[in-house]
Amino acid sequence: MLALLLSACAKQSPVEPSNAVYFWRTEFRLDSTEWTFLSRYQISTIYCRYFDVVMNDTTPIPNATLAFADTIPAGVAFVPTVYITEDCMHQWHEGLARKIVDRVVQMNATNDIRGIVELQMDCDYTDRSRRHFYTFLEQVRSEARRHGMRLSVTIRLHQLQMPAPPADYGVLMLYNTGDPRNFEQRNPILDHRDVEPYVRHLPDYPLPLAAAYPVYRWQRQVQGVRIEHTVEASEILGVKKMVESMRPDLSRRIIVYHLDEENINRYDNDTYEAIFHH
Amino acid sequence: MKRFSIISLLLVLAVPAVMACMWVDTHNYYLFRIYDNSEFKERVDQVTRDNWKAYLSLSADDYFSFNADDVAEAALKKGDNLMASYVRQLQRYLDCVDSKRREQYSWDYPTKEEIAERNATLAEVRAYAQGKLTTRLRSQHALLFMRCNMMLARHGENVTFWEQTASNYIETVYKDMMKNIYAGALLKTGHGVRAGQIFAEQGDWESLMTQYYQKRSYDAICQEYNRDPQSAVLPFLLQDFVNNVQEAVDGDGYGKLFVRNIERKEAMQMVQLAARAVSENKTPCPAMWMSAKAWLEFLYGDLTQAKTDISQATALDGTEYMKDCARILQFYIQAMQMPVNTQYDNLVSTELQWLMPKAKEGGSYRSALDRIIHQALFPKYSKAGRQFTALALLKTTDNYIDNYLDEMTPDSLQRYVDYVKSPAPTDVDRLVKPGLTIDETWLSDLMGTQHLRLGHWKEAIPYLEKVPLDYYNDKGYAIYAANRSYTVEPWVKRQWLSYGLEWSHDPVALSANPKLTFAREMLNMEKDLKRLKGLARQQRCYDLAVRYAQANHTGDCWFITHDGKGAYDKVGRNEMDFNAKAVELLREAAQTSDFLLKEKTLFALAYWYLNDEPWFQRKWSSNTGTLVTYPQPQTRHYQSWEALLNFEAANPGRTSTYIQRCDEYQTFKRVYNKN
Repeated sequence: MLALLLSACAKQSPVEPSNAVYFWRTEFRLDSTEWTFLSRYQISTIYCRYFDVVMNDTTPIPNATLAFADTIPAGVAFVPTVYITEDCMHQWHEGLARKIVDRVVQMNATNDIRGIVELQMDCDYTDRSRRHFYTFLEQVRSEARRHGMRLSVTIRLHQLQMPAPPADYGVLMLYNTGDPRNFEQRNPILDHRDVEPYVRHLPDYPLPLAAAYPVYRWQRQVQGVRIEHTVEASEILGVKKMVESMRPDLSRRIIVYHLDEENINRYDNDTYEAIFHH
Repeated sequence: MKRFSIISLLLVLAVPAVMACMWVDTHNYYLFRIYDNSEFKERVDQVTRDNWKAYLSLSADDYFSFNADDVAEAALKKGDNLMASYVRQLQRYLDCVDSKRREQYSWDYPTKEEIAERNATLAEVRAYAQGKLTTRLRSQHALLFMRCNMMLARHGENVTFWEQTASNYIETVYKDMMKNIYAGALLKTGHGVRAGQIFAEQGDWESLMTQYYQKRSYDAICQEYNRDPQSAVLPFLLQDFVNNVQEAVDGDGYGKLFVRNIERKEAMQMVQLAARAVSENKTPCPAMWMSAKAWLEFLYGDLTQAKTDISQATALDGTEYMKDCARILQFYIQAMQMPVNTQYDNLVSTELQWLMPKAKEGGSYRSALDRIIHQALFPKYSKAGRQFTALALLKTTDNYIDNYLDEMTPDSLQRYVDYVKSPAPTDVDRLVKPGLTIDETWLSDLMGTQHLRLGHWKEAIPYLEKVPLDYYNDKGYAIYAANRSYTVEPWVKRQWLSYGLEWSHDPVALSANPKLTFAREMLNMEKDLKRLKGLARQQRCYDLAVRYAQANHTGDCWFITHDGKGAYDKVGRNEMDFNAKAVELLREAAQTSDFLLKEKTLFALAYWYLNDEPWFQRKWSSNTGTLVTYPQPQTRHYQSWEALLNFEAANPGRTSTYIQRCDEYQTFKRVYNKN
């Protein structure tokens, strides 16, 4: 019993070192630039959004399901990722965990995707939704294990203040850190001033962590005005330095969000080398 | 005052959030509209619906949507076996599309076998359709064939089929749809340029936006122009670019820090390109380029060049839509710049005679008229002292001008009535005045109310006497008028209506004209005030203060002076400040030596709505994670509470229960004693 308690209290082992990318489009098709990127930066893991789960009146349903139009790169770990909107967790939905895992498994089977050993859940959970989300994660984890998959989960900065979710490891999302309504003062994708208040939670955060950095452009219309956000390379690298100084194991697995030709061309080789520096 | 303090706090807290949601129409519609925006998808949908309606001999009201069973049944009755067979196959195809669509949102993701089955069905339908290409319904079957190819990702076959076969068919809506599928197939097979041309020619703006979403910059437009100055995509790209510039220039408070730099530098590059396009004479629509040039110049303040260029644009070639756009831009630019005089009147009447009938059809002409009137004509005529012409113009855009009339002085309102009833003085007035009408009862009520707002009781009475009671019974505020009294002291009791009463739809029957009763009572009470002295005068001051506070827009009897009530209401332009008058009267009443009257008066002076600034500020403390109250001793509100506190201290144990129970007062005392 004592041994069991001790093992439960002990920190889990850190994540395996690797370079990784998120794939966040609705059609899985890679162009030559993207293939080259995977190879050049020795990307060994692709976290691939399979579908979203959103509320439809009172029931959660899948949305924006990925269509597979290309083969999965050989020798790369493929991690199905499901984004679930926070309002789905405002109340309890019996059987949701199983539906999600079954759907992921079916998508793998239908599209001949083999060797999947991990599932990732992504949710901007808050104090309001945390209780349901953690119970839900327990169930997802149990269902995923039945299919030989471990569970990882995204962690937003504000979520560092909460108890850690029941998962095998977390991916610290170092993007979407600001308030999009306040974009005149801060870059809503990433601004070190928005990260600073949370870094004190990093050393003691009980879950093994990987780090995900933004390389994307965010274009949107605000009252008709085309607003465009991108992050300077120096800002990304500055934040990387800041968080790794507080939590050195954040340099073990580094993920960029997200794989796309335009994003690849946005930064030079030196920047990507620096981002993927372990 | 429990309720009052809760409401007050809510107001304080709610303001920033509500402000963020407030939306004001800037009337800043795009004027650079160079093509008909009607969407391809809607057009073909309308034609196919009409075709089915005609085939089924149904009226518009009886036809809802395509139903294969209904059409097959009708076809068999007509002995049209080919049509019956076609719609059954069409339904099989539509079921496959539905199944594919459901993949997006159904928990049951299809298995390999189900997908294979769906593809097999599509292949069967495809084969069937291919076998009917020589029948009289060959266009319909050819479309079905191409649709199946699209679903089966046989895009190359669609390209070949269109080019070799379907492009030779007669012109029908089915052929339009096939061409659209062909464009999609071209895009999928790496021939984006040709695809874009077809989407543009067909007016399939949705597909164009998908295709060109990331390519709407000067560089992309320049590249497209260099590739083909006659490219059908150029109007789409140019319109999008120019209107984005307008958005960037307008700013509307959303700073430019991260706005894509589509501002001066890129816009000026586009000006250069437009000039080149016109001078090279390779474009079939120089009017479009010259209009773009003029509008960009105007947006960046080069008014002289803009005026010259837009004048030139109106004489250049282009589609009718482009020429109309040039004329609208010229009207706007001139209307914004010229002084109001006879020449201005001539311009306005000529252009309005042209634009107003077009605006009746809606769409971009209507929004152009709206913008020209709101941003150019209304302010210009108002500033030139022709306020009524300005109002008549505003009315032509179906805008509500009652707010303007409501805010006028009684004298101005009378002049407005004279304007409406007399012959039009100019051509512009002749054009727009027919939209103005006067209802005599409405006028009497408004005249009377405007005098009430100014405290002119005597002048208000003759107007209000002309208004029948039924007029007020029909007003939205009748329920409040029937259930509230202006004699109740608002600082002691708020006259909330029960939910059931407030939202009841039962008709209201007032026993008297509430405004008239008020006006007569105020007239008599103020007449008496002059001869009263001592306690009687102080009591009268207090009673009058109660009435002023009630009839103010913040009072429970706001309906005496206003038709509606809102959280952001302020003392209007031509109104007396009733709350200020109430404070003045209360101050005189506070001189009394009568204990109860003094107590009531001091309490009244601390009433939330009689004070412009609250006695405290509440700020969020990140240290404690709570709202902290900071007293504001410099405010009149604070000083009023302090005066009551001192009064209580001087009269220990004597203050009334309603004061002791006021939670706002208790809060003040706590904060006061702490500091």
